Amino acid sequence: MLETFNFRVIVEYLPFYWKCFLATLWLSGGSLLGALVVGVIACAMRLSESRIISRVAGVYIESIRSTPLLAQLYFFYFGLPSLGIRMPEEATGILALTLNSGAYMAEIIRAGVQSIAYGQIEAAMSSGLSYLQRMRYIVLPQALGVSIPPMLGQAIVLVKDSALLSLISIVELTRAGQILTSDRFMPAEGFLTTAVFYLIIYYILKAFSHWSQKRLIFRGA
Amino acid sequence: MIRFSKINKWFGDLHVLKDINLNVEAGEVVVVCGPSGSGKSTLIRCINRLEPIQQGELVVDNMKVHDKKTNMTRIRAEIGFVFQQFNLYPHMTALGNVTIAPVKVRKMKKNEAEKLGREILERVGLGAKADNYPAQLSGGQQQRVAIARGLCMRPKIMLFDEPTSALDPEMINEVLDVMRDLAKEGMTMMVVTHEMGFAREVANRVVFMDEGQIIEVAPPNDFFKNPRTERAKLFLSKILTH
Amino acid sequence: MWGFYFEQLVQSIPFFLKGLWMTVAVSGLSLVAGTVLGFVWGVIRAGRGKVLKRIIGAWVDLIRGTPFLVQVFIFFFILPEAGIQLEAFPASVIALTNLSACFICEIVAGGIQSIPSGQREAATASGLSSYHQLRYIILPQAMRTILPPLVGQYVLLIKDSSVVSAIGVTDVTRVGWLTVQRIPEGIMVFGLVGILYFLICYPLIQLSNSLEKRMTVVTTKL
Repeated sequence: MLETFNFRVIVEYLPFYWKCFLATLWLSGGSLLGALVVGVIACAMRLSESRIISRVAGVYIESIRSTPLLAQLYFFYFGLPSLGIRMPEEATGILALTLNSGAYMAEIIRAGVQSIAYGQIEAAMSSGLSYLQRMRYIVLPQALGVSIPPMLGQAIVLVKDSALLSLISIVELTRAGQILTSDRFMPAEGFLTTAVFYLIIYYILKAFSHWSQKRLIFRGA
Repeated sequence: MIRFSKINKWFGDLHVLKDINLNVEAGEVVVVCGPSGSGKSTLIRCINRLEPIQQGELVVDNMKVHDKKTNMTRIRAEIGFVFQQFNLYPHMTALGNVTIAPVKVRKMKKNEAEKLGREILERVGLGAKADNYPAQLSGGQQQRVAIARGLCMRPKIMLFDEPTSALDPEMINEVLDVMRDLAKEGMTMMVVTHEMGFAREVANRVVFMDEGQIIEVAPPNDFFKNPRTERAKLFLSKILTH
Repeated sequence: MWGFYFEQLVQSIPFFLKGLWMTVAVSGLSLVAGTVLGFVWGVIRAGRGKVLKRIIGAWVDLIRGTPFLVQVFIFFFILPEAGIQLEAFPASVIALTNLSACFICEIVAGGIQSIPSGQREAATASGLSSYHQLRYIILPQAMRTILPPLVGQYVLLIKDSSVVSAIGVTDVTRVGWLTVQRIPEGIMVFGLVGILYFLICYPLIQLSNSLEKRMTVVTTKL
């Protein structure tokens, strides 16, 4: 197979791959930011003392975790138009990714929050700080610090998840491979190049994760 | 200032506080002692509703703690609480730890609060450590910061839950010294402790608890020299032969 | 309108159940094969053979660093070029087995490495062979650490199996995709798909959680 591996085609398509690489990056990046926001809100709701609010967040998180991302993606892609909502595919894609990762982020943050010694919350309560004040100044700053490594893990998952967006015709890395397969009948060149680009992102994120863990060890009490 | 009337509390099926009646006057220093599991920590944790009570009335500074509708923020602002495990916020400096509540709860301006914070840290002997993080301080220093944190709210009452039990012996005195000074200045204090020397010097009354009940209440001289009940005698004999 | 589509959806339920069966088949086969393979790789990864450890480690990293969809495409489109003709179903099972094995390998290796080395020393001192050590001392203890994340991983893999719908395997997701072309009510159709996955995954998640609680002996200092 290697003898027939056509490097020239890859070079020819490299500018296209570069565009797709950037598309993957901004689709994942945008969804990551969205997921952080959704995650913080969902986590705060989940930990709320109101049973209704906590249940609503719980239903959201459990539904996401018990169903595949692809089904969620199709749910929005096919479902929103039937409600009369027309969105560009990219928006639908980011929406699905954001809601999906948001649920996992909520659980990561929750684990971080619950890892904080309860004594501190008692100390904060004893000085008269309200629930919101305790969350904002005492709990969340520490929880987020602890949560960074698993969050980076979720970022890696998110980049891989973004590949599914190719199935709703969004042009990103995996779609590049599909296009090379359908246009030029070269699935090997197509998908292996795609894989290489994903691996570049993966190894960079992994390195960043190692680096940030080293820094965190020095900061921890 | 603090009034317990017919207080009963359960943890599930376990009856941890049985028919507690106690009055603490303003300016009094009350030491609570007793064997492990006697309910003494639970008792003072009820005062700022870290633990809720199921039966009875608990009135602090004319506010009804036992009433679920009472807003605890105002009450807690008037009570400083010092924990056995210090519970300082590790991600803030000493100054940060002592100023966060004055700024957020009493709505002080940040520079006013910092000025106050540095003064009070100076008072507990840690003026130079205001910008250090808890991880950089010894146990005794951390506990003194914790006391300063309580004092910065200008409370009417200071509660101490075994403040020296988690400290190495050589650091116990620096904390007790701060507490002694506080008592001399007339602060209303309730202290759960095993430090009998402290109790003898500074307490107005000693409350002895066992198995969830208050067994004996007496001024320290009377309590230590002439304990009236058998259980108190037993407890003292075990503690004082150290 | 809705009522009409709802009726049509109800009539499609047998189709969905066939898709559900396909999901179970693909997942089931892959999880069993993947667990066996994953344990073997995991034991190697936790062992001393440096070369094998590195090779397996590198392969696992490649699999963990690329999207499963891309892996499915590679197995489906590229293996034929190397002479292995594969249909969608076998290609899917191979891809998912490989994915499972890689993730399970890491869980197993982690579990084995969490056993204090003193255990191995004691076993060696009493003369037990490596195989016996593994079988009677190490693995039984490691299972406590391995079981909860293993069940959790099964849930993830069942969800990942939805991706094989992209190469035409008629699993629950693909049935949904085909159905929504006829019944353009995405919410109802994929709501049903979601419910079907939920019925499988949610109990498994609860199982994993309860296993985790039981396996953790909590020692709280009071």
